[in-house]
Amino acid sequence: MRWLTDPLAAPFMQRALLAALGLSVAGGLLGTWIVLRRLAFFTHAAGSATFPGLVVAGPWGLAPPIAALAAGLGFAGMLARMTRRGATSSDAATGLLLAGALALGIVLASDVYPSGTGVDRLLFGTLLGLSDADLWLTLAVAVAAITATAALGRTWLMTGFDPAAARSLGVRAARGDGLLLALLAVSVVAALPAVGALLVTTLLVVPAATARLLTASIGALLAASVALAAAESVTGLLLAYHLDLPPGPAIAIVGGGAFALAALATAAPWRSGVRATG
Amino acid sequence: MTTVIETADLAAAYASGPPALSGVTFAADEGQAVAVLGPNGGGKTTLFRALLGEIAVVRGTITIGDATAYVPQTERSRLDFPVSALDVALMGAYARTRWYRRVTAADRASARAALERVGLADQARTRFGELSGGQRQRVLIARALVQDARVLLLDEPFGGVDHASEQAIMDTLDDLRADGRVLLIATHDVEQARRWDRVLCVRGEQIAYGAPADTLTNAVLEATYGPEIVMLDCGHRAVAIQHHHH
Repeated sequence: MRWLTDPLAAPFMQRALLAALGLSVAGGLLGTWIVLRRLAFFTHAAGSATFPGLVVAGPWGLAPPIAALAAGLGFAGMLARMTRRGATSSDAATGLLLAGALALGIVLASDVYPSGTGVDRLLFGTLLGLSDADLWLTLAVAVAAITATAALGRTWLMTGFDPAAARSLGVRAARGDGLLLALLAVSVVAALPAVGALLVTTLLVVPAATARLLTASIGALLAASVALAAAESVTGLLLAYHLDLPPGPAIAIVGGGAFALAALATAAPWRSGVRATG
Repeated sequence: MTTVIETADLAAAYASGPPALSGVTFAADEGQAVAVLGPNGGGKTTLFRALLGEIAVVRGTITIGDATAYVPQTERSRLDFPVSALDVALMGAYARTRWYRRVTAADRASARAALERVGLADQARTRFGELSGGQRQRVLIARALVQDARVLLLDEPFGGVDHASEQAIMDTLDDLRADGRVLLIATHDVEQARRWDRVLCVRGEQIAYGAPADTLTNAVLEATYGPEIVMLDCGHRAVAIQHHHH
């Protein structure tokens, strides 16, 4: 029992848990749409693209979330530009920009601003030093994700399910997609302090991908994604505390384990009547 | 008979490009089914998108007296989505549901009634992707009924369905015609086109429009399908065979 209660006595862990729960709401809800709309790789790349922004934030005197958001938007803009003519596929361009952003961040951190913040902290998150602003941002994205899912869930569902008919069914696909990507960008930024630039998919993709194996309706998928994200992130934080790990990798390991269990359970011979989802 | 849908010298284009389809003049009355026959890329989908107001009409006019619904090919939708047949039929109510409201009980009842009408009441809870191609097509028709559409634009409704399913879809479409609805049925299958009240042949422009017996002549079919066509004369039946490009 003390394994559970001791960490909770520390104020920095209380803040980390609060942030994790807020991020779980946003990550579970948006993760559902990310997984259904096949935006997982884009989400990972958007997270990684914030890395150079985080590196220069301190030396340039910028608030880290602002610098990260600017870098993320720069990534989205370049991706749109590279794929406009159709010669470069979206996933190739995403892979290229992802590698470029990481390389740029590493060069900046090791050679240009070597005295700056620890690189591992930016890449994998930290339990320590979550500011009030970090917590407020987390709360804001949780509220925004709930509101947007309630208001735009039908639009996102219809646009993803049957894009050819969406417009004739009264769905404004372009506006809905724009809002989804904007919300995704802000959620990525909110998740950075907790899980770092390399592991945002830990909260924004993994729980929803796991819930996808276990549920048969959109409502159940949304609820299970949030519940899984919360359970995985709390467990991961406790592990990080006791084993002195950065929180991102700890939550990622728990999430990966949960996915493996769900995949095994649903692929087992006694469930052979159930088709694999793909 | 009331004319429900009518076009005069219609030309439609994508973005600022040249017209993808031009010179379309036809009219359909209540309860009529019109086959829209043409090769792939011949302008069938372009016609539908112009009738739906999704692309620019650069010349001519469209007059539609009633709500119009588009019934796409079922393999265009994501079959892995966790949505049931009832969920898909309910999408027909999205346009009249305000963004801050839930779908109403009346719309749920209407979706159930629509599924019953197409003979799928017992499949309401089945995941859309687990239904057969023909059943999925009927769910999409049910969705158009939930939209309260009197004009249905069906894109290759018999594509990739087996014979039994084809018959079930035919029965559904006959039921809708008896109800006074107008059906436009895009197809590249000449035999399919023969079954309906009117045939509109298109290949970038209108080739012919009229009753099947008058319209589906060898000359018209050659003009519609071009030199690639292989004509097999079996008595009075000409069969067009062409390569499929997807």
